[in-house]
Amino acid sequence: MKKSQKVISLVMLFLSALAIEMVSMPAFAHGERAQMASLRMRTINWFDTEIFHAGTGERFHGEDIKMKIGDELLIKGKFVPSEWWPEHVNSVEDAVYLNVGVPGPRFIRIDSRINGVPMIRSTRLEFGKLYEYEVRLKARMPGRFHAHSVLSIEGAGPIIGPARWVDVTGNEEDFENSITTMTGDTLNLETYGIRIIIFWNVFWFIVALGWLGYWFRKRPTVMPRYIKTTELGDDADSQLTMTDMIVSFLFFGGVLVATATGYFVTQQLYPITTPLQTGKVEVPHKELDNSVSLEVLDARYRIPGRSFKITLNVTNNSPHPVQVGDYMSGGLRFINPVILPGLTRADSHDLLSPDGLTVETPVDWIQPGTTEKITIYADDAMWETQRLTSLIYDPDSRFAGMIFFYDPSGKHRYYQEIGGQMIPVFGEYQATPSI
Amino acid sequence: MGAYGDVDKTNEEVSLDGQSKRGGPKSFVPAVKTAADQLEAWKRLDTVMVPVMILLMGGVVVFLVALTVGDWDYWQDWRDRRWWPLVTPLSFIIAPAVFTYFFWHYFRLPVAATCIAVGYGVGVWASRYFNFHVFAGFPVNFIAPSTFIGMCIVLDATLALSRSYYIAGFVGAFLFGIIIYPLNWPTMAPFHVPVEYNGFVVTVADLMGYQYIRTAIPEYVRIIEESTLRTFGEHVAPLTAVFAGFITILNYYLWVWIGSILTRSRWMTKLV
Repeated sequence: MKKSQKVISLVMLFLSALAIEMVSMPAFAHGERAQMASLRMRTINWFDTEIFHAGTGERFHGEDIKMKIGDELLIKGKFVPSEWWPEHVNSVEDAVYLNVGVPGPRFIRIDSRINGVPMIRSTRLEFGKLYEYEVRLKARMPGRFHAHSVLSIEGAGPIIGPARWVDVTGNEEDFENSITTMTGDTLNLETYGIRIIIFWNVFWFIVALGWLGYWFRKRPTVMPRYIKTTELGDDADSQLTMTDMIVSFLFFGGVLVATATGYFVTQQLYPITTPLQTGKVEVPHKELDNSVSLEVLDARYRIPGRSFKITLNVTNNSPHPVQVGDYMSGGLRFINPVILPGLTRADSHDLLSPDGLTVETPVDWIQPGTTEKITIYADDAMWETQRLTSLIYDPDSRFAGMIFFYDPSGKHRYYQEIGGQMIPVFGEYQATPSI
Repeated sequence: MGAYGDVDKTNEEVSLDGQSKRGGPKSFVPAVKTAADQLEAWKRLDTVMVPVMILLMGGVVVFLVALTVGDWDYWQDWRDRRWWPLVTPLSFIIAPAVFTYFFWHYFRLPVAATCIAVGYGVGVWASRYFNFHVFAGFPVNFIAPSTFIGMCIVLDATLALSRSYYIAGFVGAFLFGIIIYPLNWPTMAPFHVPVEYNGFVVTVADLMGYQYIRTAIPEYVRIIEESTLRTFGEHVAPLTAVFAGFITILNYYLWVWIGSILTRSRWMTKLV
């Protein structure tokens, strides 16, 4: 075998293996890794997300959530629209819709709320405010699905929140979706109105076939009419007969009569109807607890080490001593194991780094009424695998995230958003003399 | 060898293997030798071409409607009283207008619009059933297409009765724009029954839009009731219908004219 043939064979083998791999690879999640780092880090800060079986309350920690058709799934948590929202991304102040990231109507949405307000319509939000949300779904079709919280923002697109894998079993034929209208009728939305739709579509198809059948009743039609039309020239209209006129008139009038009859009979059958409903609802926001206030002094991202270093002043105005327990950014959660030991991932795609946060602090606990300068290191390969290292390619090189403080008992928690300019480091961290 | 390349124009009889019985070069067998053959060929042309044309024209319009009307006709909860009855006839009449010129000018057949509506109906039902229902999982009632057959028959019948593009546009196209709402109301009305849900009044269609999750279509994307036609109180649909009728007339004339340009056999005339 010649050398060139060997090379071609190897290339073909590689491409074949790649094709087989791509064909056999299941679809993972919803492409959140494809979103720009700034979209994930500086738009919606999702936290305290819980996704579980609403009927039993079971969390299924460390495995897929198991459900049957008709069971309910609850997605709940909190979010804060970032104060460091990118200038080049549309704002939450225009139109926002609490959505859910599942593969289409494999579930139906029973309820969704932000701060207790039903989110059947869209709303507006404010930067830097606290919102609590919950979405209740009912399993409709079997399969294994990745269920995300999602906030759709007009002009910006979907901002995807945390997710869990859900395994639904059962027969979808058993699914019913019954509702009661304001006129007192109980409907199954899976099949409601389908007979009327089929009746009218079949009716109009038959009418159309009647019309076309009349004009194409003679065989052949097309070529003889073409020849005759060409031969007659300006008198081509004369080939239309009185029968043609009568049939045309009957169809013309018949269609209008059928349309009017259908309309008025429908009005009798459904005397109470309303136009489609739309509009925005107002959501009261909640303020963040400012008991622990923060000032970012310096933030650097060291690319070779996948390490994010933030130096900040912490002023504790709460009645309890506090220390940093975790830091969240772009959906990644870095845990300080000294404060929160023993945390494990909820499933294989949980973006939790159980020991990813290191805190350099002059004191073990920041006492009430004091200010301390601390440095945190959020280190994990997830920066790379979740493609957040691309933040160095963002047009404004800024970062944001949520930082959480706990008291020694773990009963009291304070959190704030931090953000600011981010400086990339292409080698080792150096001392920053300005701070 | 004749002047038309390999085609033998002499009507010479040939054997089944394509060889000339006179020992000449291989040539084509003439398909039509007698008037009866001619008639049979035309019948076969009708049998094949008419259904194929209906499906092709319908397929073209499925894409046209998908591009220009899109979600307004995909979902029950998009068919409002202002935009759906305005955008849909305005867009849908383009293909019937173009093909009406062709069918009427060359064949005096007032069938173009109805052929398109039937072809569109077949294509759009296939698309909605397989793409939206089987593949994506939406209930058929939520994604069932509108029907335009009645509008198209009125347009064709007006042309047959008047034998005039002018009157077909003035009457037929006007009715085309006007009757879309009452024509489809029997299949839409059940989905406009009000429901109280989580403290809100919504229609059945709104509720289905909320429950049957469309991740990429958040609620604010819907363009519902956005316009300034509010002079006659709650009578929004009739006012929209009249406006839709007027602009559909203009669009009909425009596209009949374009059809007259597109169907000129300029190149064939030069060749033959």
